[in-house]
Amino acid sequence: MPSLIGFYSLAFGSSLSFLIIFFSIKNFRNSKIFDKRIIFFSLLQLLLVFISFFGLIISFINSDFSNETVFNHSHTTKPLFYKISGTWGNHEGSLLLWLFVLTLFIFLFIIKSQRQPTQYRILTILFQQVIIVGFFVFLLKSSSPFSYIFPVPKEGLGLNPILQDPALAIHPPILYLGYVGSSIIFSSALSATCLNYISKEWASHIKQWVLISWIFLTLGILLGSIWAYYELGWGGFWFWDPVENVSLMPWLALTTLVHCILALEKRFILTSWVVVLSISTFTLSMCGTFLVRSGILNSVHTFANDPERGLFILIFLFSLIFLALFVFFFFHKENRKIDSSIFLVSKETSIIINNWFMMYFLSVILIGTVYPIFLEVISSEKISVGPPFYNNLIAPFLIPFMLAMTLGPKLKWIKSDIKDKIYLFTFFLISLLLSILIIKNLEINFLLNTLLVGFAFYLFFITLRDFFVMKYKNLSQIIAHFGFSLFILSILFNNIFTTEIITNLKVGETYTSEKFNIKFENLNQKQGQNFKSIVGRFTIVNSKGKVETLEPELRIYNQPNITTSEADIRTNLLSDRFITMNTVQNKDYFNIRYQIKPFMIWIWLSILLIATSGFLSLLKKKYEN
Amino acid sequence: MKYLRFFTIILFILVSQISYALENNLEIKITKNLRCLICQGQSVHDSDSEFANSIKTLVSLKLDEGFTEKEIYSFLKDKYGEWILYNPEFNKNTYFLWLLPILMFLLGGAIIYKLFIFKKKKLY
Repeated sequence: MPSLIGFYSLAFGSSLSFLIIFFSIKNFRNSKIFDKRIIFFSLLQLLLVFISFFGLIISFINSDFSNETVFNHSHTTKPLFYKISGTWGNHEGSLLLWLFVLTLFIFLFIIKSQRQPTQYRILTILFQQVIIVGFFVFLLKSSSPFSYIFPVPKEGLGLNPILQDPALAIHPPILYLGYVGSSIIFSSALSATCLNYISKEWASHIKQWVLISWIFLTLGILLGSIWAYYELGWGGFWFWDPVENVSLMPWLALTTLVHCILALEKRFILTSWVVVLSISTFTLSMCGTFLVRSGILNSVHTFANDPERGLFILIFLFSLIFLALFVFFFFHKENRKIDSSIFLVSKETSIIINNWFMMYFLSVILIGTVYPIFLEVISSEKISVGPPFYNNLIAPFLIPFMLAMTLGPKLKWIKSDIKDKIYLFTFFLISLLLSILIIKNLEINFLLNTLLVGFAFYLFFITLRDFFVMKYKNLSQIIAHFGFSLFILSILFNNIFTTEIITNLKVGETYTSEKFNIKFENLNQKQGQNFKSIVGRFTIVNSKGKVETLEPELRIYNQPNITTSEADIRTNLLSDRFITMNTVQNKDYFNIRYQIKPFMIWIWLSILLIATSGFLSLLKKKYEN
Repeated sequence: MKYLRFFTIILFILVSQISYALENNLEIKITKNLRCLICQGQSVHDSDSEFANSIKTLVSLKLDEGFTEKEIYSFLKDKYGEWILYNPEFNKNTYFLWLLPILMFLLGGAIIYKLFIFKKKKLY
């Protein structure tokens, strides 16, 4: 029954799009006052899509297996929480969630943009409706979440156990808020271009949407990494996997946009560039959806894919790109009257440098992700592009990038000079010295690592000092840059000082090394709601005599019948101790992987800090208004 | 200046405490650069599959036999194809892969120079 309501309210919701488009066009021609009917129908559409989504959730909760989506992705013994999160843990449900967020955001946009010109608001709604209609067609035609199965099966097929995890339950909705937020930026930029409304006012209005999308995208990616860290069992959090890359690309574009929208707001420069970025951010988000859903990519994340669906998204994507390019080339007028020249030493220059490097990082990731696909099509040769490629091309460029991040914010708009030269220089020497002291005894690439650590320290100290000296002026910028320095430092030290042991142990055996002893104490059995688990108990004694007990698990899920290895992690401020165990076929010993990963928690905290800075910036904007 | 002195002292104390002697483990480095062919996007080092374990054994054997890192890569490449190498070699298939990003960077720099810096000299 909920499925039926869901289906009909989805179908009815889609027909509302035509009403909204009709009234919008009518209102656009005579745009003295904003037609209230548009608000009403948008709200109604939002409610209908919500009912539809809610109906799907109810079907999942009730384990209504007459619904094909529920049958394919749920099971009666699954815990309630994962029944609910299973709603968006699959292709159909996640698209419905996309649509729900799309309609939610356009409604919020209508309410929040009342001080903007009417024509601009209406045109934005129209562009957004094009996207919404696309998703309605896609959902109803090729991936309906409400297909019937008859006869009704007694039991569902279950959800992939690695998706049954709290971080991954909220990862898709948060990520989608970021992705879909960029659709508002896209529609609004196109509409502003058509009406020649790209201006300082537009910039300060759209900045809020840019920030909101950016915050959610940052948090979404963070949740994904945390999940990968403790669920995939190899102790890494980022593998430069294609699906990770496609979420990072819109993030980079958005981060660039966050910076250069400021230049537009304050100085009315970089107008075309802001439009191009707005278009590409959303295009990259859509590409992400396309690449993940089409199954072209070989990755951990491709759980559901189907070539026909891929084709639809591809056509839809190209139509949107074509529309955007058409609008850009036919309507966009560069305002040549305004003097857009800038001085070499100014905030503008530093923002342009930021954009330059960001675009470079973006192009590395884009080429690295897409190139193997093209090569395979053209020459049928399969190559892999993995972490070493990205590290080699990105790491050296981080050095000047971090220098620009340190000094750039110290400059003023229009024309500026660097103050406090002595301070800046002393800090620089200290950072470099510190870095040399740390790196010199290690057998790693001395020059690259010293410079990386040194410049990261430099950014760290300068932003830390600014935090205390500047008295909360431009707080969000300082926190964001400080967070970035912390992030780079934690990653570097995490990489450099990781200790890892892989060994085979039987119950009762002890692994001994100079730094620690690992004793395999015993094995216990445990019963979960939809899995049985074997819990190993390990006592680890380090060289200082500190004792720690870790209990990794092997879970055998009932449906689908998959064994997963659950890591046990002990975290403190200095390091994570991470242990996993795995069975070895036909052997009575277990494969044990033990890692000491320094500063792990600081990687998460620094990203949280970066996201917080966006939030502060958003609050500040409101406060000023 | 107060903060400066404070942090310097703290950090130098911390640094002197660090006495990690890293085992520069070539085997780990090599297996991290190899794709586990039967897994979904995992390296040989990170995976515990049978294939990964056999490659790990193979790599450690070859290292004992005195093979260099490069020789091991080319040995595995001949056996399993380029798909196994996470660090793509620089050859006719990958010229564009390695050079295109660098070209983009230079192009970006050129555009910025032309649009902004150059104009400034003319006007002022």
